[in-house]
Amino acid sequence: MIGRIFMRNGLILVMMGIMCWLAIPVAGATPDDEKLRELEREVAELRAAVEELRALGLAEDRLTEIERRLGILAEEMEDLKVGEAAVKVSRDQTISGLGPAASKVYQKEQGVSVGGYGEALLEFFDDSRDDGSESGAVDRFDFLRAVVYFGYKFSDSWIFNSEIEFEHASTSEGGSASVEFAYLDYLYRDAFNLRTGLVLVPMGWLNELHEPTVYLGAVRPRTENRIIPTTWRENGIGAYGAFGGFDYRTYVINGLDASGFSAKGLRGGRQKGAKAKAEDFAWVGRLDYTGVPGLTAGVAGYFGNSGQDLEDSGGDSIAVGTSILDLHVEYRYRGLELRGLWARSELDDVARLNEALGYEGNQSVGETLEGGYLQAGYDMLAGRGKSSLTPYLRWEQINTQQDVPDGWSADTANDERLLTLGLAYQPIEQLIFKAEYQNIDNEAGTGVDQFNLSMGYIF
Amino acid sequence: MKYGFIRWIAVCAVLLVGVTVGATVLITVEEALELAFPGATTTRETLFLSNDQRSRVEKDSGVEVSSSLATRYVAKGEDGAVLGWAYLDTHRVRTLPETLMVVLGAEGTVQRVEVVTFREPLEYMPREGWYGQYEGQTLDDDLALKRDIRPVTGATLTARATTEAVRRVLAIHAVAVQEETP
Repeated sequence: MIGRIFMRNGLILVMMGIMCWLAIPVAGATPDDEKLRELEREVAELRAAVEELRALGLAEDRLTEIERRLGILAEEMEDLKVGEAAVKVSRDQTISGLGPAASKVYQKEQGVSVGGYGEALLEFFDDSRDDGSESGAVDRFDFLRAVVYFGYKFSDSWIFNSEIEFEHASTSEGGSASVEFAYLDYLYRDAFNLRTGLVLVPMGWLNELHEPTVYLGAVRPRTENRIIPTTWRENGIGAYGAFGGFDYRTYVINGLDASGFSAKGLRGGRQKGAKAKAEDFAWVGRLDYTGVPGLTAGVAGYFGNSGQDLEDSGGDSIAVGTSILDLHVEYRYRGLELRGLWARSELDDVARLNEALGYEGNQSVGETLEGGYLQAGYDMLAGRGKSSLTPYLRWEQINTQQDVPDGWSADTANDERLLTLGLAYQPIEQLIFKAEYQNIDNEAGTGVDQFNLSMGYIF
Repeated sequence: MKYGFIRWIAVCAVLLVGVTVGATVLITVEEALELAFPGATTTRETLFLSNDQRSRVEKDSGVEVSSSLATRYVAKGEDGAVLGWAYLDTHRVRTLPETLMVVLGAEGTVQRVEVVTFREPLEYMPREGWYGQYEGQTLDDDLALKRDIRPVTGATLTARATTEAVRRVLAIHAVAVQEETP
């Protein structure tokens, strides 16, 4: 019978209510002093009512009244637990039990949210290259990133989100402090929201999801370093949303700056929102299918010029039309996670660009850059709690000079194959430790294998 | 300026015009109840768990129960028959809380999970389809991440919190049913 568990015996429940109120930690709440004082008054009144009942004997109407007040208390406590985003229900409606509530997703009126992540990486390089010559590589222990997220909710519709990143620990030792993203969101509908500011370019896997706990590997895949230059962010404006199992993002951003391109890829072309040259803009879009739990499959494309008014020796501007296309897929089933990425970039006006930048011989920027990887991991502790132990394997191939203009040659060292074998351990989901061995080969025979250890955290 | 700014703004404008459909982000408890139990009469109830019951819920669900208080709605048809229950569960996701409505059918299995409040950034909220994994779930070992429930890349903590909330609700419901059965 419901009565035994719900409010039936007024006295016992009054006491239970008081005990609950005193005992429950207000998890995740923003305690409101006024609300608490009001609750205290309510409790005092209830105590007085109980005394009255003792004197008069149990009367049904008084019991009903106590039940009503207890209901109110319960609701208030619930509100405190949720904070400002509390489920708001009119008191009368609550007690009549027919209550429509007015809570909304993202209802919080105002507020700051804080988060962060970081990672340290220890790299041991092989003393010799694949061809037997001395590598000369110096082992390195780097606190790669320490990052703080700040967000602020102005209203139901307007949200600010940002990531402040410190790379390589100290600016006095070659590190940097950067705003990795900082944008305003206008939330309109699931299917359509607006975003403007310094945005993450929605390509590949790691550019938007680059916390160390989110990907396998102590070192990011090379394709997502040289062709999709993570962490790639530019100033722009666009829209994003989800509909019918699809997620999309579409932005107009300032284009890459071709004066930073090299034989090793597009990485130097990022403008990072810092006084970015805005002579050329680009469009970037992404469409993912996420309709089946565990599966994400999609395509992303970037199209725009990167010349930014760069001129050749004749004084004519060089457009450097740049397109990047990627296909990506991830599938997760129980402990298994499979991930694949293929990316290809094509550039125009490369010969003129090379001359303008003073490149010679095999230093040409690639007319075509292509790379991709397949990765598999299996969590051996899947479904047994919050820990995970995931051996993983990644095979990657990349060539940042797949094609070069006529009259130029490619450096075969840029035609690489990487095999990574590693183990990731997460004692809890917010911490990760990784160990991996990378066999790195290239067509020039100058590949240097390495062993990596890393730790990462997110909060 | 082959790729001029104006041209891209025009592309955006076309996209703006093109996107005219889509469900609203906002959902009220009332709307969630109407979705779960169309046309039914719903009554809000408050459960006060005893310490013993709370311990049992923690043991059965394997997750923490931070409150002795539980809120649910019971839905009844025109003939007074119970159609199901909708429990509200508030918990922390990463640093901020969310409130879920876990809807159970008359037989006690999960019918649907609705997000009622979510204070973390939008990026940490799984898509609607992902919540469909909980449909038909009962309190057993397979109701876990990387078993019947597939995690979401980039929203693991939300996936964990949701799974724990559903386990908690099922355990609370079992205790409630036991109390209500003579």
